[in-house]
Amino acid sequence: MIRLIQAPSDTPLRIADIVGGHGVRRRLLALGFHKSDIIELDSRSIFRGPVLIKNLTSDTSVALGRGIAQKILVEIIDERK
Amino acid sequence: MTRENRYPDIVFIGQPNCGKSTLFNAIAGLKAQTSNFPGTTVKHTHSKVNVEGEVLNIIDLPGTYSLNPSDPAEKVVLTHLFSEKPDLIVNVLDASILGRSLELTLELIELEYPVVVALNMIDLAEKKGVEIDPKKLENLLGIPVIPTVASHGRGIKELLDASLQSLEKGLSVSHIKWSRDVEDKIEEMQDHLPEDFPIVGNKRFTAINMIAASKLLFDKMLRDINPSLKMNLDRVRSELETMHNAPAYEVIAAERHHLAFKIFEESSRVIRGKRISMLDRVDDVIMHPFLGYLILFGIFIGFFFVIFNIGSPLEELLLGPLDSFRVFLSLKLGEGVVFYLVDGLLQGIGGGVAIVLPYFIPLLFLMSFLEDVGYLARAGFLMDTFMHRIGLHGKSVSPFILGFGCNVPAIVSTRILESRRDRIITSLLIPFIPCSARTTIILALVAFYLGPFWALGFYLFNILLLGILGRVITLFFKTPSPGLILEIPSLKMPSLKNMMRNTYFQLRSFLKFAWPILIAGSVVLGLLQYFNFDKFINLVLSPLVEKGLGLPQELGVTLVFGFLRKELSLIMMLQALGVSYQDLMTIISREQLIVFTVFISFFIPCLSTVAILWKEIGKRVAFISMGLNTGVAIVLSLLVRLILVK
Repeated sequence: MIRLIQAPSDTPLRIADIVGGHGVRRRLLALGFHKSDIIELDSRSIFRGPVLIKNLTSDTSVALGRGIAQKILVEIIDERK
Repeated sequence: MTRENRYPDIVFIGQPNCGKSTLFNAIAGLKAQTSNFPGTTVKHTHSKVNVEGEVLNIIDLPGTYSLNPSDPAEKVVLTHLFSEKPDLIVNVLDASILGRSLELTLELIELEYPVVVALNMIDLAEKKGVEIDPKKLENLLGIPVIPTVASHGRGIKELLDASLQSLEKGLSVSHIKWSRDVEDKIEEMQDHLPEDFPIVGNKRFTAINMIAASKLLFDKMLRDINPSLKMNLDRVRSELETMHNAPAYEVIAAERHHLAFKIFEESSRVIRGKRISMLDRVDDVIMHPFLGYLILFGIFIGFFFVIFNIGSPLEELLLGPLDSFRVFLSLKLGEGVVFYLVDGLLQGIGGGVAIVLPYFIPLLFLMSFLEDVGYLARAGFLMDTFMHRIGLHGKSVSPFILGFGCNVPAIVSTRILESRRDRIITSLLIPFIPCSARTTIILALVAFYLGPFWALGFYLFNILLLGILGRVITLFFKTPSPGLILEIPSLKMPSLKNMMRNTYFQLRSFLKFAWPILIAGSVVLGLLQYFNFDKFINLVLSPLVEKGLGLPQELGVTLVFGFLRKELSLIMMLQALGVSYQDLMTIISREQLIVFTVFISFFIPCLSTVAILWKEIGKRVAFISMGLNTGVAIVLSLLVRLILVK
């Protein structure tokens, strides 16, 4: 398990846990981000801006501040399986 | 209100960006009997429509992700649902993200109010390769499902028919069962509810929401009122938590989530695999870490020149006949009170048409383009880093951009911000954004007389000022801003019809609310001039206007009236100085023109802005804003005078 912020870009990841406070967890749930959803990260940014997350399960995108991206734990999905 | 209540209430509820308002406008705009209040006066839009002889009271509520609100806009939805118990809910879904959209639908069904589903943007879903069977969805949910494409008006008649039918027959809705173990716990909680407990919707819905409630507020209240119920609640929660190894509210959310996706999978077929569409490619460029910023900057500059290049030739074209008509009038009517009255009237009407509309309409149109394609959220994403430097984050960008159109809806839209701190800071900064009225002044004075680059410089300076002020204001707030969580809706092809409709709605509200003020203001000035009362006001203000700012004394009265509407200062300026537009520069210098524009731009927010600040954020913030704006206007215009005149 790694923090989302350290995960590689454009690789399928599975949400393992969200360690933030209740506010953040609820907000993410409402936006359709649940445990075990498959997501993809796009962290390219020239000014250390927010990261872009594509949720492949629900086909939605959100921008997350880096602080919040810290709080999401993910595992890399092995594509060979 | 009692009179309206005889008609059935239909509320429109949906997640943000599901095309709910487009659908609402398509219905209300088509058959609206009464007015459509702009966002300025009420929290929600409502309108009466006549469908086949039946009058319906339809209400558009702000978008909400769930019935568990986390920002003030979402709270509006909940308050309305529970206090005004509607006769029917039209739940608008974005068919292209059906799985997630169904989570709210399931919540509404749990409420057991009658619900009809508008499966909107079905065309977008098809383009994405998702084929949905509405009949099957209808069976799974147990409520009517009507496919619609609001932007093309497709399915609207069917939706209204289904709504009427449901109203007539009285739709019975029953919830869909969850996992056995969770249902057991909910039932247990239900049984513990005392007889006199305030039930919301029904017992099951109340029990679920007690379990999922935010612990901070609700629990504290319950502990005081009913300690034994609180103990039972804690036990049920902790049992759920040990069974599922997650907080109770997440267990509940997960139940809905799984059910929603199960229904989605059973009613839809994904035909093609992941396909990259043209819009996705465009999106990649817009959000590109380098190109994205270039485009953002390009849009800003581009808009500026487009508006100026459309507005100024039009203005010149329209001013000619207006001026000759005035000359004709003064010859005919002499110098009596009739002339002053008629001239005031003409200035107000003509000024609105010739000076304001040429810039106002292109601006509205371009703003609705940005909104329609879904660029606002993307600008928020790109600007997030810069917003952090002034103590805010990317979510404030969309209210700021709306502020370029009009500050009033911009302040209302700060409701999307979760924290009060962010709302206050953003609302204090919005009055410094040059709204369409001020853009008109900047373009019609600075760009028209001194050239477009002066005006552009003015704009860039204005944005810099916004940054500095943001920096200073945040010093007064100790708590940091919570991080950014912002949905990026999928990019849409702009629809000309939509853009025209939005422009029309806003133009109509300008003609209805602002234009009369412009006309009345000009007439009042005409009268003041006839009775020489304007000289008195000018004399009182002369220490500031003449000594301080170095402007002609006659402009004093126009500054006062600028409080009603910013454009009024511009229109009255000509009237007060007694010159035609073409001859303005013979009376005042370039420096005076800039000082005047600076002062008017930043001076006290206009009346409607102050009113909405008062209503939305509070009296204190409204007063602080008035003081801040006036202070900044005075300091800046003095500085500009010192620098320019030397």
